Amino acid sequence: MQSFQQDCVELAHEKFRRGEVSRRTLLAGLAALGAAPALEAGDARAQAQRQLVMVNWGGIANDGFGRFYGEPFMAENAGVRVVQDSTGPSAGRIRSMVESGRVTWDLCDSSASSSVVLGRQNLVSRIDYNIVNREHVIGPGFALEYGAAPYSFSSVLCYDSAKFPNGGPTSWADFFDLQRFPGTRLLRRDALATLDAAQMALSKSPQNLYPLDLRACLAKIREIRRNAVFWNSGSESEQFLRTGEAVMGHIWHTRATVLQRETNGRIKFIWNQGLLQAGIFVIPRGNAGGELAQRLLASMLAKPEPQVGLLQFLGNGPTNPAAAARVPAEFKAVNPTDPANAAQQVVLNGVWWGENYQQVNQDYLDIITG
Amino acid sequence: MQRASARLGFRPDPVAREARRAPVGQGFRRDAGWWALILPAVLLMTVFYLAPMVQVLAISLTEPQPGLGNYERLFTSESVQRVIGTTLRICVTTTVVALLLGYVLAYKITLSTPGVRRWWVLAVLVPLWISVLVRAFAWVTLLRRQGLVNETLMAGGLITEPLPLVWNEFGIVIGMVHYMVPYAVLPMLASMGEIDPRLLSAARGLGASRLTVFRRVFLPLSRPGLIAAGVLVFIFSLGFYVTPAILGGGKTLMVAEWIKLQILDLLRWGLGAMMATMLVVAILITLAIFSRMVDLRRIFGAGGTA
Repeated sequence: MQSFQQDCVELAHEKFRRGEVSRRTLLAGLAALGAAPALEAGDARAQAQRQLVMVNWGGIANDGFGRFYGEPFMAENAGVRVVQDSTGPSAGRIRSMVESGRVTWDLCDSSASSSVVLGRQNLVSRIDYNIVNREHVIGPGFALEYGAAPYSFSSVLCYDSAKFPNGGPTSWADFFDLQRFPGTRLLRRDALATLDAAQMALSKSPQNLYPLDLRACLAKIREIRRNAVFWNSGSESEQFLRTGEAVMGHIWHTRATVLQRETNGRIKFIWNQGLLQAGIFVIPRGNAGGELAQRLLASMLAKPEPQVGLLQFLGNGPTNPAAAARVPAEFKAVNPTDPANAAQQVVLNGVWWGENYQQVNQDYLDIITG
Repeated sequence: MQRASARLGFRPDPVAREARRAPVGQGFRRDAGWWALILPAVLLMTVFYLAPMVQVLAISLTEPQPGLGNYERLFTSESVQRVIGTTLRICVTTTVVALLLGYVLAYKITLSTPGVRRWWVLAVLVPLWISVLVRAFAWVTLLRRQGLVNETLMAGGLITEPLPLVWNEFGIVIGMVHYMVPYAVLPMLASMGEIDPRLLSAARGLGASRLTVFRRVFLPLSRPGLIAAGVLVFIFSLGFYVTPAILGGGKTLMVAEWIKLQILDLLRWGLGAMMATMLVVAILITLAIFSRMVDLRRIFGAGGTA
């Protein structure tokens, strides 16, 4: 299963190849994502007394978290070196590293649900909120017990308006209504965020969405699975809609933004009832850098400018409360945490998901592959 | 008289016996050097292959609690059973179709003249060199709603709605068969090449029809190749990952991907390790059964004792 972060890096490279962004911007953006290879090797590293390793999903270009998250921190902390590793810190990999007893990773780009799963198995450290400031994020869902989020993203309803000349869908209820809106649906092959949408289609109020009524939500999925395809990676989700395999999809806002722009608005997306999610970072238990990792995380949350830079480059929403106001006007419409957009969305309950993910996702896979 | 000659046969004269024994003793000493050369490879296999396998087995027996809990799921969990069922169904279908196509191809190649045969073999081998990813995506391009096949059929007025050719098991089987046909052809080709063409001529000369010659002479003689190809294709299919992931539209889950999900995403290592162990066991059992039916060593190319 491709993670949101992996997809961001892929998207950046696509933009670069199409000439939409310069190499410099590409590197800067990747830096913000933490996807930067050890550019700063050699003598600089030799001088550093302490080193922190940030782990991301970066692929070839591993420049970005370094520049937007690492460098500001290094500027303020002489003798500390922040280096990047693009291995892809899946929950399974974090677990095997912690259990091996040689923990070289300090800060990993994970997710809310994984942070809870890992925390419950005592594989990641608690966030020290004496060091990390809860006031530096827009809501409680972005500062969890075992992780905090310097960026956000959303799972939104995206549709091909050419297929619905009499008006497109406006809610998840419409999404699940095959009579009024016929055509193949596109869902992520992952229960997280998908069942939340099904729950809203069951007209439970977004304010009291959790706990999800699993039986009903899964039944809702079963209703449409014969008329649905399921995506694993972000590029796959984009292709399904672009090539007309599906007329309506539940996809990441970053991909929806690209589709909307490149089809000149034929494919649209709506923020309404979108599932706003936190890009949670975790600290593997027994990390070599110790408490310093907490301070790096605190610095990432505290600085709005790099977060705005990341939004302009890849579309990841900032989480610092001061950031939204600094977003240039043309990017406000695609910022998931812009107050106008955030108000329409629902913050996904990462804690509930962390506690239920393993079983629920298995049930979900059983339903769609049954 | 008979007895005497038998005794003579069983008891060679001492000189001959000595002569025979000597090379054996020397041979062992000489072989010891070769064994020493192999030793690093054996150690490497033990450390990097056998040891992790044992570890996997250990995880499957100890997580989340020590015991056979994970293996119990084979009998109690509908989800586990479904994954196994789906995998077996797809693998059997793939094997049967790949064998049918492969047999026809191998038959055609065997009976063609050497010059033509080279081109045929090349045509079979070329797909082997193309990445499995590229081939899967090529099938997507052909089979999707706005793909070549559907567009052509619709332009020809044969259908009005696109056929669901991909994002289902049908698409997966097409992709897997395409991948497997060369693996089916090659062992059968080797086995058919050993059939003496004079036997076929002789059968014809004795008045058998073409069909009878094929049914009574060619088919039985090519049976070892057929079985070997079947084993090879089936075992390969069991571990398939990429093709189902791309062509299945997310609606099919086979064992390999299921294991990956358990290990990397769901952190249920015990369950994942159990399934991995079962996969290895299934492969070993398949090999054990079929090695009784045919000489696998010969077919997989070890020791040319034909």
